[in-house]
Amino acid sequence: MKLLQKTSRIYLAASLVTYLVVGIAFYWIIKFIIYDEVESRLMVEKQDFETYIRANDMWSSNSYFVENKIEAHPVFGKFKNEVVFTDTLIRNRYEESVDPFRQVSFYTLIGGTPYRVSIRKSMIESYKLIEAISATMITCLALLMVGMFFFQRRLSGQLWQPFYDSLSKIKNFDWTRNEKLSLTRSEITEFNELEDVMEKMASKMQHDYKSLREFTENASHEIQTPLALINARVEQFIQSKDLGENHTYWIEEIYHAARRMSRLNQGLLLLAKIENQQFTDQEEIDLSELIKDKIKDFEDIIHHKNIRVDFKIEGSFGRLMSPSLADILLSNLLNNAIKHNHTDGTITIEAGEHYLEISNSGSVLKGNPERLFERFKKESTGTESLGLGLAIVKQICDNYNLQIAYNTSDSMHTILISK
Amino acid sequence: MKILVVEDEKGLAESITDYLTKEGFICEVANTFWQADEKISLYRYDCTIVDLTLPDGEGFDIIQTLKKIAATTGIIIISARNTLEDKIRGLEIGSDDYMTKPFHLSELNARVKSLIRRRHFGGNNDMIWKEIRVQLAARKVFIHDREALISRKEYDLLLYFLSNIDVALTKESIAEHLWGDHMDSSDSLDMVYSHIKNLRRKIVERGGKDYIQSIYGIGYKFTAP
Repeated sequence: MKLLQKTSRIYLAASLVTYLVVGIAFYWIIKFIIYDEVESRLMVEKQDFETYIRANDMWSSNSYFVENKIEAHPVFGKFKNEVVFTDTLIRNRYEESVDPFRQVSFYTLIGGTPYRVSIRKSMIESYKLIEAISATMITCLALLMVGMFFFQRRLSGQLWQPFYDSLSKIKNFDWTRNEKLSLTRSEITEFNELEDVMEKMASKMQHDYKSLREFTENASHEIQTPLALINARVEQFIQSKDLGENHTYWIEEIYHAARRMSRLNQGLLLLAKIENQQFTDQEEIDLSELIKDKIKDFEDIIHHKNIRVDFKIEGSFGRLMSPSLADILLSNLLNNAIKHNHTDGTITIEAGEHYLEISNSGSVLKGNPERLFERFKKESTGTESLGLGLAIVKQICDNYNLQIAYNTSDSMHTILISK
Repeated sequence: MKILVVEDEKGLAESITDYLTKEGFICEVANTFWQADEKISLYRYDCTIVDLTLPDGEGFDIIQTLKKIAATTGIIIISARNTLEDKIRGLEIGSDDYMTKPFHLSELNARVKSLIRRRHFGGNNDMIWKEIRVQLAARKVFIHDREALISRKEYDLLLYFLSNIDVALTKESIAEHLWGDHMDSSDSLDMVYSHIKNLRRKIVERGGKDYIQSIYGIGYKFTAP
């Protein structure tokens, strides 16, 4: 939920509750005041009535007038002497309606007999008053609330505008590039402080990223140079005419170890670079088209191992990615399919709009297939294999949100890459 | 043929010059950017081998200067940096080749020779060694003036041997020369073996001598028996 939406909702809910509570309270207060007023008038009339009775000791009931009607009925038997206020409805004689009245009932002795006396007052006017006041009040309150709501929404929108501007800039910020993050200043101190912090963090990130990148590159350079020296010296050394069989063996071992180390170093450097997302150039690459091209690089070895290659290309599997990584991805997959294949084996390449599948024949996998994509997990014990090929493939897939899965059945190994 | 080697790692520079001197080149070494800068403004070289990362400067700058004052000099970059950007940049500013460290000296030698051939003869000359004649422009091989039908890879292999006569070549360097370094399986060594077998057979069939000598545990040597 967006911040403005959230505040609007909270504001709306709080306003509604306040509105209801205030409305109800207001209604009751007005009602209470009016009743209080009516009742005090009724009490005054009760006093008048009692004064009149004390003076005349008789009451001729004249019940013609609805308003200010006083009724007196003699009471027989037991009664509880108390003053009670009640609401009552009396039929209007001229209109087909009933009108609300407030009445006070009390007991008094008229001519020695107890009478129950009720004095009434019409509440029509009072009710109208209550309704008018309540309606006005509720309308005003509602208008105020709606007005406040829209005002607050507009105001928040404007106040938060710089924040949203900065947010979109931060979202588009790419620390692998050299552009600095510059956010627009606003009048609000908190936002400015936030922007300062963000800018500082961004430049620190860029700096760290750059130094990390430089470090990996320098480290690789520093390692490759002595390796190049070892290689060169070995090459010079093998030119000597008088090498014994022992020497040859040692030299070969040194040479292999140095080459292996150099390839390991290159592989790890490549992995680090992919992880650090240093391949930022992007192009729409048709992987199913590229793999047809790529397999030509392996023509000789495929021919040499007498491997049959079948293509089932049904659609183009396109992806926006770095051309170099696409190349590495497919090279590694093909290399893997060829390396673990046996002579006279098969490779099947299937591709559709959403997937690319490479299957190859080969010996049954002994290890855990889940761990196949981990670094340095290799199936063959041959020292030539580094165990980095599939880890690189996985890392590239991860970078571009591609799913990768390994499946095996009947000594066929399948690697499926899908969107 | 004069070659300038610009490389800060003294051992590596020495290896390169030793190797190339044996191949009949006259080599000079510059260990720093300024030495290289001075040498290229004073002398003319047929080929310059430049390391990109020097303690006091960038190899790219040397190439740019070199292109201005002696455009005909062949340039080979040797660098530990193997990013595509560096390679593209190197070729854009006028270098002829890019080799990633570590490389094989035999490969460097072959590339230097091929570069000089291209520079001096436009690739139109023949390479002759005893009874073997290679027509570079047409990519054809003649033994005793009779054409031997050899495959593309066998031709590359023969050329690699002819560029490194009397030199022990490792199987790995041959495999890398033929298929690049994307092929890291032991299968490629088998392929080297079978290509050599075929090449040897085709030369002998046409009446040539068998010049390919196997060196146990290491590789092969092309040499007069």
